[in-house]
Amino acid sequence: MSRTLVSSTQLRRGRVLYWGLLTLVVVVFTLVFLGPLYWMVTGALKSGQEIAQTPPTLFPKDPQFGNYADAWNQLDLAKLLFNTVYYAAGAVLFQLVLDTSAAYALSKLRPAFGNAILGAMLATLLIPAMVLIVPQYQTVIDLPVLNLSLIDSPFAIWLPMVANAFNIFLLKRFFDSIPDEIMAAAFVDGASPLRTLWSIILPMSRPILGVVSIFAVTAVWKDFLWPLLVMPHPETRTISVGIYAFAAGTPQNVVVAASVIAALPTVIIFLIFQRNIMSGLTTGSLKG
Amino acid sequence: MALLTAPAPAPVAEAGVLKKRRKLHDDLTGHGFLIGAVICFAVFMWYPMIRGLVMSFQRTRRGVTTWVGWDNYVRIIDDPSFWIAWRNTFTFTGLALVLGFALPFVVAIVLNEFRHAKGYLRILVYLPVMLPPASALYLFKFYAYDPSEAGLFNALLTAVGLPTSEWMQSPAMTMPAMVIASTWMNMGGAVLIYLAALQNIPGELYEAAELDGAGILKRIWHVTVPQTRLILALLAMMQIVATMQLFIEPLILANGAGTQDSATSVAYLIYQHGFFQNDLNGAAALGVIMLVVLAAFSAIYLRLSTRGDS
Amino acid sequence: MSVPQYRKVAALALVAGLGLSLTACSTKSDDGGTDAAGKVTITVDCQPVAAQKELLDNWNADVAEFQKQNPDIVIKSISVGQQCNNPPDFTARLAGGTTTDVFYGYMTDLQQVLDSGQAMDITSYVSKDTVATWDSVDPALKEVFTDGGKLYGVPVKNYSMGLVYNKTLFRKAGLDVDNPPKTWPEVRAAAKKISATDKSVAGYAEYSAGNTGGWHFTSLLYSQGGRVLSEDGKKAAFNTAEGKQVLQNLKDMRYGDDSMGSRQLLQWGDLLTNAAAGKVGMFIGAPDTTQAIVSQFKGRFEDWAVAPLPGQTDLAKTTLGGGEGYFFKKDLTKEQVEAGLKWIAYQKLTPGKGQFDYVRAKPQNYPVGLPQPLLFAPGSEAQKQEVELRKANANVPIENFQLFEDKQLPIVGEPRDAQAIYAILDSAMSGVLTDPNANIDTLLKTAEEKVDQLLAAGS
Repeated sequence: MSRTLVSSTQLRRGRVLYWGLLTLVVVVFTLVFLGPLYWMVTGALKSGQEIAQTPPTLFPKDPQFGNYADAWNQLDLAKLLFNTVYYAAGAVLFQLVLDTSAAYALSKLRPAFGNAILGAMLATLLIPAMVLIVPQYQTVIDLPVLNLSLIDSPFAIWLPMVANAFNIFLLKRFFDSIPDEIMAAAFVDGASPLRTLWSIILPMSRPILGVVSIFAVTAVWKDFLWPLLVMPHPETRTISVGIYAFAAGTPQNVVVAASVIAALPTVIIFLIFQRNIMSGLTTGSLKG
Repeated sequence: MALLTAPAPAPVAEAGVLKKRRKLHDDLTGHGFLIGAVICFAVFMWYPMIRGLVMSFQRTRRGVTTWVGWDNYVRIIDDPSFWIAWRNTFTFTGLALVLGFALPFVVAIVLNEFRHAKGYLRILVYLPVMLPPASALYLFKFYAYDPSEAGLFNALLTAVGLPTSEWMQSPAMTMPAMVIASTWMNMGGAVLIYLAALQNIPGELYEAAELDGAGILKRIWHVTVPQTRLILALLAMMQIVATMQLFIEPLILANGAGTQDSATSVAYLIYQHGFFQNDLNGAAALGVIMLVVLAAFSAIYLRLSTRGDS
Repeated sequence: MSVPQYRKVAALALVAGLGLSLTACSTKSDDGGTDAAGKVTITVDCQPVAAQKELLDNWNADVAEFQKQNPDIVIKSISVGQQCNNPPDFTARLAGGTTTDVFYGYMTDLQQVLDSGQAMDITSYVSKDTVATWDSVDPALKEVFTDGGKLYGVPVKNYSMGLVYNKTLFRKAGLDVDNPPKTWPEVRAAAKKISATDKSVAGYAEYSAGNTGGWHFTSLLYSQGGRVLSEDGKKAAFNTAEGKQVLQNLKDMRYGDDSMGSRQLLQWGDLLTNAAAGKVGMFIGAPDTTQAIVSQFKGRFEDWAVAPLPGQTDLAKTTLGGGEGYFFKKDLTKEQVEAGLKWIAYQKLTPGKGQFDYVRAKPQNYPVGLPQPLLFAPGSEAQKQEVELRKANANVPIENFQLFEDKQLPIVGEPRDAQAIYAILDSAMSGVLTDPNANIDTLLKTAEEKVDQLLAAGS
């Protein structure tokens, strides 16, 4: 391991301090980041009366497992989770296909006006989502030329996500780093651009494709206002919007129970794949 | 292929016309690959940009759209909540810079020094990012920020003998409370990026600084910060743009406006005008104002950060 | 590159484009609504959600029975959430044109629905022949859904506000359950006693967020005899002695007596959660809030009683009334409108059927006997039938609602642009309930300014 801020010799000298500090940090972090989750899981088991109790109880006195059952059944969490996964999967697919081919064209095929197009795309990076929310919403309600409404259709989430300049930029930068000679060699062998993309460029680009996928999934997972607006129907809601809509007319502990259940799948997936996700995120985003 | 024709010497025999035709064909291929993304950009980005601007000068009532000049802007700015929303948004952005931007950096520096439990700590920090935002915020709303003595934070404060707070009900605490919740649920991403940046700093630099007699703080200031400067600047900018769009925190933690607009953000005001007051045109005007403010801000930021370079 | 290659790319783009248009099409409502076999299909919203299990079962049973009686009509039920009209969702549906063929709305929604251009003029369709009980429906309610002499909606429910109180907590505090407060000073005194008995209980609870604060401010204002808007509806009219009195009463209870609990910024579900947990002594609401407390928030029916709304010196001068109805989406075919009306007539406007099927509701965890929905004009044929059935099948102690039913106060409807105005008034309510130093005059003045602006912009 290469040295960091504090050298190994210094560390050895301050061993007690190091272990003391480490213990402190581990304890504090556990309390700060796991503590609330514990509170959430057990809070959902408390009765309405117990939640209002002073001081709050550390363990639920009379665990109400019914709250979890109520949350699952009443909110139709299975459906909400499915929707969210479906939207995320579609977003990944659309971004991978359309953004990758666009970045490939901009990086390697370089058609006329390519730079102008890239510039127009990058310009959208400067515009925060909130600024465009109203006209985008109007557009989705009544698509220009086609006069279609995408409300309650998954395309209302998938297609706008393709217009992601940051991902195109990441992909293009990565493709730029692939030497042109490799491409040239492929062309000489008579390979078409599509074939070159598929069998030469993409296999070399796995890390960046992973990063783009993670970004797409996180974006769908974290987005709130857009799905709130374009997916107004209870059947099409995402998990976050579903819980929000549900909270208005439901006892607190059932809302929290729903929150716990909603968080479980991602937390589990994260724990299983954390090594890949972590390394993918750190290396990928830095290279980009 | 532009790629092939430019660097590689073209066959001498090839006639000019043929070359031109080939160039056209290659362009078409390139645009064929581009078309999907370009359509999406056109429909969901470029067109809405223009449409938003147009809408902000129009008014639609009972299906009839008329041009109204600056009326929407005047109405939006005259709204007593307008300035409050900006003040709140800037307060949030400022506090979030102190807490949400600096804290992850410090955490990353500390984590990077540990030789043990690193994986565990990294997972811990990133765990809240995995929660659906609404879930995380309800956790804060119902338990942490309960204004009575039964609330988690108030119980902790009482336990250590500090005065309790009414959190979201107290106008003074609304913004800090939202920053705390927001930082808790979002800082994992920033910590990971900093960690990666820290790992790329060559160890020799610290070595050299240490030989010069620099202490830990001095080494951070003279080695760590300059070495991660680009990523710091980038994240600061992203953080500012993100926090200016503060929406879900007031919506869930403060049921929208909070007490007397103490939680109203500009983004929430856009939502309120557009979807509660049935005034999409006013909301579009507010969107344009937000864009102008952010553009002005970015310009100043760029100016400052480039000046720092020279 | 070869030409076929280019074609492949083009084909790819095309497929992407096609996929888009195909799926997008499928989200649009089907067709003219009439299929080859002559069946008429209509979509109807506000189907109860899964959490309201018995209501949902009843609804589905009604649909099945109705379709059996009318084999040529197909009802497609859509659930749009627990609160059938959550203002932002409702706005989104109107703007996006994704409402159902027959769609639910509040009485206050008419202007917004007309603004969106989504409603159909149904004047020529509605009569005694299409809706048997139409002549018994309270004319005041029909008026609410009428604009410029044209009828746009059918009222299906109506309520008015009273004082809802917890009898168990009243007894604990030594208060007389049969003689609940009649004036706001009496409410204040009672709230103080209730909170003194148990510190964790709010003697009186009030909303201040999510538009419900403004809604209740309006009710409280009506009880004082004040109005939200001027006669012509062009100016705010609440910045008056009556408006100040409303906020002063709340401020006195909240900070003078500390009898409103420490949790504020409550909206609909928050207050009812607390009430169901036995932490609220009194609040204002329609009789059917007790129903929500029981069926959604797991409270107990025997705890709750309703009295007429108090006023400052005597009972309230006027009380807020509101309600719900169904609109018809523009461009429906004649057959669809007729089918929709038939369904509403069956499920909502027939004593003994649908929402008035008290025999079915009696054994369910769902109260019968509430003095609601006040849909039919007093003295009309349908009203007599309904009351008779209700009394015969009551499953809740009717005496809990007797005080309320015996003393019908004059009802005043909600102001125009109600939801937008309520959003503004939330701020005045939250101010007085969370800030001990709140200045009532400033709060009202700010709200007045904003409402005036809103009205000016809307006209």
